Amino acid sequence: MVSPINPIEPIKPISPEANQVANKGGADFKKILENAINKVNDTVSNAEKLSNDFATGKTSDIHSVIIAAEKADIMLQLTNEVKNKIVEAYREIMRMQI
Amino acid sequence: MSLFNAIDISSSGMTAQQLRVDIISNNIANADTTRTADGQPYRREIPIFAERFRETMNGMTPAGVEVVKVAKDKSPFREVYDPTNPDADKNGYVKMPNVNVLREMVDLIAAQRTYEANATVVSNVKAMASAAVQIGR
Repeated sequence: MVSPINPIEPIKPISPEANQVANKGGADFKKILENAINKVNDTVSNAEKLSNDFATGKTSDIHSVIIAAEKADIMLQLTNEVKNKIVEAYREIMRMQI
Repeated sequence: MSLFNAIDISSSGMTAQQLRVDIISNNIANADTTRTADGQPYRREIPIFAERFRETMNGMTPAGVEVVKVAKDKSPFREVYDPTNPDADKNGYVKMPNVNVLREMVDLIAAQRTYEANATVVSNVKAMASAAVQIGR
């Protein structure tokens, strides 16, 4: 008589800690990214506020307005570069042959 | 923010120089003013600059410049003989402000040059940050 084939057991994690560490790392990276993006957002909205103030005559500092805009510009460029890198890394992993 | 520390410092320098130009223009505009609120002729005003510090984790860090006070020039008034002036005293002398317009013009040029120097620092720091961003490309 033919014995039934044993069902495939699910792969056990090597240790329960390994999974937790991976999860924790993911959450941290997400937090860092979120903080960085919030900071960029603050810079951009500050630049917007200053240019509004300048347009409505609340401030007469031309340089403050321009400097705030430049700061926002550089921060945005940096964010874009980081985003490009992340997307590139993700694509690289998705292309991987298994 | 530490990334833009140099820009913030230069920005404070530009603000200070702008205030200095405001004071110089007031001095020039009042170079012939013989009447002020206290009954005396106009006194030349001088901005007092002070180094500014910011509290960080590593103690006090330089954070640019600020104008702490606008002081009055204590030097004596110029006396001009002009008996036709309504503000002349009984000997015919009029007290004129202690403003030297030539000196104010020199100060004005100095303020302008300092402002430009700070602007150059800002644009150079910006170029440096852009270069750093370009590394990733």
